[in-house]
Amino acid sequence: MDAPWLTLVIVSPLAGLPVLLLWRSISDEAARWVGLAAALAAFAVSIGMLANFQTGEAGFQLVSKHPWVESVGLTWFLGVDGFSVWLVMVTTFMFPIAIAASWKVDHQVRRYMAMALFLETVILGAFLSLDLLLFFLFFEALLFPMYYIIGVWGSKRRIYAATKFLLYTMFGSAFLLVGILWLYIESGNQLGKATFDLTVLEQVRLSTEAGRWLFLAFFVGFAVKVPVWPLHTWLPDAHTEAPTKGSVVLAAILLKTGPYGMLRFNLDLFPEASRYFADAIMVLAVVGIIYGAIVAMMQRDIKRLIAYSSVSHMGLIVLGIFAFSAESMDGAVLQMVNHGLSTGMLFLVFGMLYERTHTREISDLGGIVHITPWLAGAYVVAMFSSIGLPGLNNFVGEFLVLLGTFSVDRVLASIAILGVILSAIYMLWSYQRTFQGPAKERWGTLRDLSWREGAIVAPIVVAMLWIGLQPGPMLERLRPTSELVSERIRTVQVGEAVEPLARTSGAGEEGP
Amino acid sequence: MIDPPRVELWAILPVLILFGGAVIALVGSAFARRADQAPFVFLTLAALAAAAASALWLWNREPTTALEGMVSVDRLAVVATLTLCGVGAFGAYLGYHYFERDELRRNEFYALLLFALGGMALLVAAADLIVVFLAIEVLSLSLYVLTALTFRRGPTEASLKYFLLGAFASAFLLYGVAISYGAVATTSIQGLARGLAGTTGDQSLAIAGALLIVVGLGFKVSLVPFHMWAPDVYQGAPSPVTAFMSAATKVAVFVALIRVLHVAFVGLQWDLGPAIAALSAASMVVGSVLAIAQTDVKRLLAYSSVAQAGYILSAFVAPDRDGIAAALFYVVSYAAAVIGAFGVVMLVSGGVREQTGFERFRGLGRRRPGLSALLTIFLLSLAGIPPTAGFVAKVFVLGAATRAGYWPLVLIGALAGVVGAFYYLRIVALMAMREPEGDDVADPSPLPRLVLAVPAAAVVVLGIVPGVIVPVLREAGVLTW
Amino acid sequence: MIDLIGLAIAIPLVAAGVNMLVGARLGRYAGWLATGAMAASFAIALGALLDLLSLPAGDRTQVVTVAEWIRAGAATVTLDLRVDPLSITMAMVVTGVGSLIHLYAIGYMEHDPRPGRFFGYMNLFCAFMLALVLANDFVLLYLGWEGVGLCSYLLIGFWSDRPEAASAAKKAFITTRVGDVMLLLGLFAIWTHFGSFDFDTVLGADGSLPEIATGTATAISLLMLGGAVGKSAQLPLHVWLPDAMAGPTPVSALIHAATMVTAGVYLVVRTHVLFEISEIALTVVAVIGLAGALYAGFASLGQYDMKRALAYSTMSQLGFMFLAAGLGFSAVAISLLVAHAFYKALLFLTSGNVMHGLHDEIDVRRLGGLVRDMPWTAALFAVGALALSGLPPFSGYFTKDAILELASHDGEVWAYVLGSLGALVSAWYIARLFFTAFIGDRRYEGRAHEASTLMRAPLVVLAIGALFAGMWLALTPDGRLATFLEPVVGTVAEGHAGPSAQVLVAISVVLTLLGIAIAWRLYRPAAAERWISFPEREPGLAGALGHAFYIDDLYAWIVGTVGLRGAAALEGFDRIVVDGAVNGVGRLAVRLSGLAPIWQSGKVRRYALSFLAGGVALLVFAVVRV
Repeated sequence: MDAPWLTLVIVSPLAGLPVLLLWRSISDEAARWVGLAAALAAFAVSIGMLANFQTGEAGFQLVSKHPWVESVGLTWFLGVDGFSVWLVMVTTFMFPIAIAASWKVDHQVRRYMAMALFLETVILGAFLSLDLLLFFLFFEALLFPMYYIIGVWGSKRRIYAATKFLLYTMFGSAFLLVGILWLYIESGNQLGKATFDLTVLEQVRLSTEAGRWLFLAFFVGFAVKVPVWPLHTWLPDAHTEAPTKGSVVLAAILLKTGPYGMLRFNLDLFPEASRYFADAIMVLAVVGIIYGAIVAMMQRDIKRLIAYSSVSHMGLIVLGIFAFSAESMDGAVLQMVNHGLSTGMLFLVFGMLYERTHTREISDLGGIVHITPWLAGAYVVAMFSSIGLPGLNNFVGEFLVLLGTFSVDRVLASIAILGVILSAIYMLWSYQRTFQGPAKERWGTLRDLSWREGAIVAPIVVAMLWIGLQPGPMLERLRPTSELVSERIRTVQVGEAVEPLARTSGAGEEGP
Repeated sequence: MIDPPRVELWAILPVLILFGGAVIALVGSAFARRADQAPFVFLTLAALAAAAASALWLWNREPTTALEGMVSVDRLAVVATLTLCGVGAFGAYLGYHYFERDELRRNEFYALLLFALGGMALLVAAADLIVVFLAIEVLSLSLYVLTALTFRRGPTEASLKYFLLGAFASAFLLYGVAISYGAVATTSIQGLARGLAGTTGDQSLAIAGALLIVVGLGFKVSLVPFHMWAPDVYQGAPSPVTAFMSAATKVAVFVALIRVLHVAFVGLQWDLGPAIAALSAASMVVGSVLAIAQTDVKRLLAYSSVAQAGYILSAFVAPDRDGIAAALFYVVSYAAAVIGAFGVVMLVSGGVREQTGFERFRGLGRRRPGLSALLTIFLLSLAGIPPTAGFVAKVFVLGAATRAGYWPLVLIGALAGVVGAFYYLRIVALMAMREPEGDDVADPSPLPRLVLAVPAAAVVVLGIVPGVIVPVLREAGVLTW
Repeated sequence: MIDLIGLAIAIPLVAAGVNMLVGARLGRYAGWLATGAMAASFAIALGALLDLLSLPAGDRTQVVTVAEWIRAGAATVTLDLRVDPLSITMAMVVTGVGSLIHLYAIGYMEHDPRPGRFFGYMNLFCAFMLALVLANDFVLLYLGWEGVGLCSYLLIGFWSDRPEAASAAKKAFITTRVGDVMLLLGLFAIWTHFGSFDFDTVLGADGSLPEIATGTATAISLLMLGGAVGKSAQLPLHVWLPDAMAGPTPVSALIHAATMVTAGVYLVVRTHVLFEISEIALTVVAVIGLAGALYAGFASLGQYDMKRALAYSTMSQLGFMFLAAGLGFSAVAISLLVAHAFYKALLFLTSGNVMHGLHDEIDVRRLGGLVRDMPWTAALFAVGALALSGLPPFSGYFTKDAILELASHDGEVWAYVLGSLGALVSAWYIARLFFTAFIGDRRYEGRAHEASTLMRAPLVVLAIGALFAGMWLALTPDGRLATFLEPVVGTVAEGHAGPSAQVLVAISVVLTLLGIAIAWRLYRPAAAERWISFPEREPGLAGALGHAFYIDDLYAWIVGTVGLRGAAALEGFDRIVVDGAVNGVGRLAVRLSGLAPIWQSGKVRRYALSFLAGGVALLVFAVVRV
């Protein structure tokens, strides 16, 4: 079926906004349903997009391109390829779940849902934009709703956390903006017409010097989002203070805009610089893996612990990207999805526990495994997925990343793999202290998972098993793209001029 | 024999209309000092509408100068005049509401407003430095009085400061005009352009003149280090006046700066560039940093306007129509956002003895979702966060600066934007993320909210489809004759 | 049947799913469901075995294509299964012994509130274990490898409300994970060298040796040995096994005696080709095995907890298997593995009977004289003990002592001598357990009740196996099992060094009897007070033995003290330095902003002054730049 799928995907969450914004007297319950319905609609549309996605096609597909602000060369230029397609899917997949999980939000529900839907739209936009300014617009636009969600519905130190999140990430994108503008002007000087069009900017020939500076500008912008060590300290605060849904979206989706940006822009636009900086970045990534894991071990607050585990996992993704081997890149993209599922689910399940106990302190908990066996079971599944147990989703990604890295750099891979041990340590240790051991009588009356909660968790578990046992459908859709990019990067020699990337863009409707 | 000077009054029709309206209002208020102010509002709005209409009528004229090269007839002037009329309309309404609320009758307000607008309309059309000076004086004097209009202690003090420093600034301006005359033996903007284009060699005299003029105008738009009056005056003046002043003055004076820098001294652009960049950077940094510590919203917005002026100025390092268009776009979106912001502040501040401390805004989101939503939109735009006009505007001006090769300035601007986000969103956090305390004195009447929804809508629309005005602004950016 | 081998995994898997999801409703039928699943799986494995036997020895390696798992870049991983003599032998052990233990567990766990979960985990374990042994691809093997680790974790911690159980589970998983990581690195190395994970490609189909340099082979082999050492609780990664006894006894029997812990041996035997290419690796295997056998044997002597003693015994027996593999007697290693599965399972389950009959009392110091209360159990334990001790004609003799015999024939004197010492110790510690627990006068209150028929029946089967499996497997000129395995693991080259077989038999019998005699001397009923009070008299020695020479305590110190301190320091660094810098910038900005009033004082003259300064500065600029 021929339709502007990507535009539809992006705007579909907005379907709920008019109701939520205009109908001021809407009841909380109704507002929740509107939010959920809109998110589900977005999921349905994204399925349509997936159905029209050509497997085996490396270039951009379902392209939709319309001039927006012609005078400055801003175009509504969307396209999906192997890198973005699954990120879109995980976004539309996790959002309904996250919304359903925040059913218990009881004040300003209307605004909450509105913000959530707006957030989904801009995140989808960021994943699908092929126009740098458009991307940057979405990239910046997702700050405020997240800031608002953390700040309004978060816990005690929410304002501090929200502000820190906003400023830190804006600090990063300041450099990104400079880089984008610089490239834009440069394209004007070389091609006559200045543009933000990624596929055109790929043709711009940059001096080695310029390419490296621009690479750094872009990298800093994305590194903060990832976050790459040592730019990570906003993450624990944001995760911890955010409401459950906030943490889920933050961990599952929002962080992915960072590595996605590196994959999409840094590697495409500055291949020479990418190679030049690869070693340093891989080292940073490995440091992040180990450092995050060790620091996670010492946390007293479960959500902080999961946050630091994210630092560790995201380090693995960055490692996979900058190892430049096809395997590691496949793994990295897959891992973006996997980390979304597993960490998202950890936050979900812990959020459910938090609704019952109202404490995040590990020391307050303990001995609930037999009181709420299903909740504990769900947590165990998420935990082992995050530990990277074969048969569950994370293993496939971690395996490919480490395999690809090993074939490139044995030493780094051998250090990075220690993260596999450390993750087992901090996860199992915290699980023991929170769920196992003698039951505390104050928790004697906790309810086990309700059907609603079970229904929220179940789809994620299914997805985890599916990816864990049959990643084929996912891999075969992203493989061509990662092979194309890794091939190109590998052919580049440090210090040499680069041939522009030859893209085979799939069919799509072209605007006037 | 001497043929009499040709008097093409049509060229300054908008100005004449505005002054005419002003005179009527003045006379009226002289006789009906304490009368109902409704008629005055309608008079003002009518005058503005007429002025706008006449400006539109000038749109399709061939760009030229009139009155012996004193004023220029071009699209830049038209666009600026239209913007000014819009700003004026909101200013008038806000003032009306403000005085009505406290049964104050200050009908001379409208007269002064119109005089100020007349001066501004003249300024944006000025084709000669003398006219620039003249217009500046007209609008300044009106603003001085407007500032003191409530005769309370605060406003009076503010007005006095404004007046004293204003005089100081005028001196610089005049001196600058004199020196440029000394350099090129003309005060006509085109004359200067031509003169400088021809000459080569030592132009330090012209540079000095240009810089002194920049100082004089920079004072009006509160560039660092000529900004220090701004916090006191913005805070002291009655909110509607602050709203009007902060928006309209920047529109008028920056347009004048466009004429001065992009036409008169365009030949010196490479010499002046660094100085402009320095002023711009200083304003962005100092304004943003100093705003952090403020705990009074009006004062905070005052410092923020310093930073905003810096952003607008950053577009002036790129002496081309894109730079002009960028600056214009920024000015327009800034005007919309700032008049709206001060409007909300006025409604929240509760009466003429304005209380604009942070505690006033605490938890406003719970009590007055409407007001806080409006203010949030305006603040987001000022902070340059999409999808608002402020974001597009920042991208435009910084893009222009990048094109001119001033990327360090761009980086400074981008980073200052981070600081900006901090203090703007601090107010958002205050309204949305904290519990209200104290009793609610915010203005309940719905009409002002409705009126302020207009600039809010403008800010959002311009943020999503800037294309609606960009072509017009680029038209206005063509300065050829 | 071979093509259906997948079902052998699928059936327990499904049963596990059912049990874990709705087991609570099934109640006592959960156990029967699980056991039935295992029986079915056993039947399939048996069928496959018969099919295999019907084929000529040459083509007894069948690969069953199931599905592709991962394909990325140049890497491909399949879920295909491999049925060959080695894998099917392992599968028979897993399903056979597994079924019996499941059956036993029905009775053992009848009072437990959560049979559904228990049997779910048990079935899940068997499914993973079968995946491990039937895999035709190193990554699938790794899946099983990790999967059994997971089930081991879940089952050790089954009573996780007991802190020691929770800790033991965690310790087991993490310790083995250390080995698993090495295995994973080994896999990466294999892929980078062979570009494939497929057994045939890596290990060479039909006898052809893989193309690989000795150095690489050594690296790969040692890395995989690391994994094996972890799973099979060999030095130096053995510390988790004794603690693992905190799990329910059927778990100890199934996972920590019969099957999972033998996975390491299986891996080494499966990849023996690589080990043989690199002599070093092979020697390392033998050394580690021998050291472990002795170390664990002595450690077992120091244990008063029956299950811990048996755990060390398991480690010791596994040591013998590694020794065999390391000396190149893969077939013998496997036959010891099979025999050991029977008698060690039997020993564990009988001690399970004791716990069951004496509400979890397991400390031999508070047992004794059980033979009167539970004659069956005593008899069955005795059988297991005899089998282990290696007296002919029982299993241990044909397997364990066969290793020593071959070692001697190969002229590996050191292996023979130390190994014989190990054999002696084995007889000693197992006899010790029997004497201290089952004879003499009771040291416990009340009466122990004999296990139910349901629990005895499987034990009888195991006992028969324990007694005669070894003999049956070995009796043919060069060993029934050995011939069967030959296509996969190669022949066992019979050397002719050293004394003749008869002499060796005599020696081994003498040593075994000597061991038993020593045990009798020390632990006979009359000497009860002496051995119970032994720690008071010889604290040093008793402590060393009891703490297994303090290796575990050393690790505990390194991890618990050094490690934690370091981690805490790093956490502090993150909070104070890294995050401190971030917040510092913020504070700095606020500080700066706070300075405003100093100049912004409201005094007009100051404003004018800065105004003037600014103007002058600009003019200076104008002049300077000309």
